[in-house]
Amino acid sequence: MAVWRVARRMLFPTVDFAIFFLIVFSGSWLLRPHRVSWRLFILASSIYFYGYWDWRLVPLLLGTVVVNWAFGLAVHRALGPDATKTPASRALVAAAVVVDLAVLGYFKYAGFFVDSVAERLHSLGFHLGDPTLSIVLPIGISFFTFQAISYVIDIGRGVWTRPVPLLDFAVYLTFFAHLVAGPIVRASEFIPQLDSVPDPRFVRSSEAFALIFRGLFKKVVISSYMATVADPVFNLPGQHSRWAVLWGIWAYAIQIYADFSGYTDIAIGLALLLGIRFPQNFDAPYRSLSFQEFWRRWHMTLSRWLRDYLYIPLGGNRGGDGFVYRNLMLTMVIGGLWHGANWTFVVWGFIQGSALVGERIIKKWWATRTPLGLPTWLVHVLQWFVTFQVVCLAWVFFRAPNFSDATEVLGRLFHGGGGSSLVTPLLMFTVVAMLASQFVPRRIPDRLTEGFGRLAPVAQMAALGLGLVLVDALGPAGIAPFIYFRF
Amino acid sequence: MSFLRSLLVPRRGRRSRPGTLPAGLVLAVGLGALLVSTVVNANATLRDSQAKRNNPAWRTDVAANVADVSNALGLTEPRTVIDDAMGRHGSNLTAEQVLAGQRAAQAAARRRAGHGTTPLTAASSVPHLRTPTPADPLKLWVGGDSVTETFGTQLVRVSTGTGLFRSTLDFHVGTGLVVPSYFNWPVHLATDVLTKVDPDVVVIMFGTNDGQNIQLANDTILTAFTPEWQTEYANRVGAVMDLLKSPTNNRIVMWAGPPPMGPTTRTHGMDLISHIDWLEARSRPWVHYVDTWVYFSDANLQFQHSLPAATGELRGLRQADNIHLSDIGGTWLSWIVLRDLGRYVDLSASKLQPDPDDLPSPTRKERAVVPPHVPGAI
Repeated sequence: MAVWRVARRMLFPTVDFAIFFLIVFSGSWLLRPHRVSWRLFILASSIYFYGYWDWRLVPLLLGTVVVNWAFGLAVHRALGPDATKTPASRALVAAAVVVDLAVLGYFKYAGFFVDSVAERLHSLGFHLGDPTLSIVLPIGISFFTFQAISYVIDIGRGVWTRPVPLLDFAVYLTFFAHLVAGPIVRASEFIPQLDSVPDPRFVRSSEAFALIFRGLFKKVVISSYMATVADPVFNLPGQHSRWAVLWGIWAYAIQIYADFSGYTDIAIGLALLLGIRFPQNFDAPYRSLSFQEFWRRWHMTLSRWLRDYLYIPLGGNRGGDGFVYRNLMLTMVIGGLWHGANWTFVVWGFIQGSALVGERIIKKWWATRTPLGLPTWLVHVLQWFVTFQVVCLAWVFFRAPNFSDATEVLGRLFHGGGGSSLVTPLLMFTVVAMLASQFVPRRIPDRLTEGFGRLAPVAQMAALGLGLVLVDALGPAGIAPFIYFRF
Repeated sequence: MSFLRSLLVPRRGRRSRPGTLPAGLVLAVGLGALLVSTVVNANATLRDSQAKRNNPAWRTDVAANVADVSNALGLTEPRTVIDDAMGRHGSNLTAEQVLAGQRAAQAAARRRAGHGTTPLTAASSVPHLRTPTPADPLKLWVGGDSVTETFGTQLVRVSTGTGLFRSTLDFHVGTGLVVPSYFNWPVHLATDVLTKVDPDVVVIMFGTNDGQNIQLANDTILTAFTPEWQTEYANRVGAVMDLLKSPTNNRIVMWAGPPPMGPTTRTHGMDLISHIDWLEARSRPWVHYVDTWVYFSDANLQFQHSLPAATGELRGLRQADNIHLSDIGGTWLSWIVLRDLGRYVDLSASKLQPDPDDLPSPTRKERAVVPPHVPGAI
């Protein structure tokens, strides 16, 4: 049973957020030369942004800040000469990780387990009331917890030679642009930018505006439209033909990409307007020719987090093939569980892990064989096709509410007759166009952005304004929360 | 002057830092873009604002003033053109007007067929539906606001599973009968549902978004839940019920009242709306009122997130927002609707029987009288 609840929403594509950001933008640039004032202003703005969702959760966010900062300080003091690890520093890092994961686990998984236990006890005649009412999943908890963990571990590893001031750490962890759905920014990427005061005469506006507009279009227009096809297919697979189910699965693949990468684009653009650069989070993932490449392009900041703080500590590539395969599989399954307490996420992680392992095995085996002599372009097309379809297969489990629904969706692919009004030329065009957009060379959007930057500001204003009109007109009434807000 | 001039000058000069602007100009561009989109989108923003449940009045007032100015200056034309091209324009036709149009069209059709002006059926007759079979299923249409999403999804699943229905779900988030300019249900029902689907069974649920002021065509505001508001809302409910009546009396309307809302939802007055629905349904034999409230509340008619099923198993009926139904709650209400429908149609050929866990406790009974106020309800 879902325990996620949102009291009020300050989503990026809303008037409320636009007003909030205009105030933050003005205040930020006015206060930027003043070290402490600017930090306090940004911290207060971020807390207001988070509290707008639910004020009761602000203490949790601030508690995470204080506890992890204190752990960082303690770990740093426990390090040996030249920042070498000591038993005490290791124990403190482990304690910090345990505390963070315990809090994350409580909010994210306790509802699921309490519900299960309550239902089991009820069937045995014990009545516990209604336990689900008391647990609300704090929005963004997975993201800020992962960032906090990476900070403490990095100090323990000696990546950070000094603990940062509490105020800097608080600004880093709570910064509103990445607070609720990433990207997962590391302290080493963010905190140095706090000290290098950017020049207010040179705000990277055209890149930022392009990112924000692109993100809005992907979220409000593309993701919303794809949902009108994917939702009915996944809600009632038995009502749709195999043709509709197939397009519904592809539509969901586009929906989740447009939704999440759209959010990330907006987040990166907003931060850029404030003079902060975030790492890239998506790089045309559906153009990938292999699963390894897919994970280098999809949710890149989570991929590298899992690599650096899970896969490598598990042993990484240092060992025999079986050892490496085990680590890959564990990393992906745990990555699946990170999304929530549901077997469907485990299966999703298992499919991704199996694909990564299978790909390595096949590559190794293929290297010993004589090439078939197929043209390179054909090999690439086949590789792309297989990669995309397996990714879509995994999305079925990611999207379906439970295992049986996922199997029903897949079953319809093999014995679902009849036509469907869901599959329209517009849907097919949009899916194909979104996939084709993944192959557009980066220089083309870059040139468009440069061209926009050369316009007179009043022309930029008109272009952006009309762009917003178009987004609003093409999108549905009301904005659904971003999919990744649940995680 | 230099600031204004800098707004008009192309930025080709910034070769060392292309794509940059001073922060002040960035603010001006951002504000200007928002201003452009605000005035061009003014009518759409007003529609959205009017439709939002619990939206503070001042927001709608601001949106209305901006729309007035924008319309006077003709600035909303580009958006209107796009909306018209996409068939998205709202309509201010009232349910009564749509109903009058429908009646006129039906009368004309009867005259053309040589039946004069005599009504085909007396208003007091219960509709007669054929007995469905898997080879000849009934057409079931389920629609309403966002609460209907999970309920309708489950009803389509369950009803299709019986083999006796070909079912369609048609919900629209944030809609109801109070703000037709946002989504006009009477027009949608008349032009899309009755004409294109022509269902044998209509299952419909409104109310969650209707606890707000009504603005009449003459700009009179009826404050939510006042006696005047109740009269107007009852007229709208009644008109939609009349609209859904089949001229050949072979359509049943299962009108589900809204369920009770949780204490933190700020969604008030569902008891009064249930009362109005029940009252209007009483005088219309083609409408069956489904007393949703009793199946989602305890013995004291108070909201409950979970309730014991017929087997005693505790079932979570609501989503965590305490407004929408969970999948289990949707299935629960679906079987109640089908059970009630069985009073009018022979469903004995059903291939699917309910799991006792999906049925409410047999002690729960629909009320003989649905009162306007349930003590303790929000």
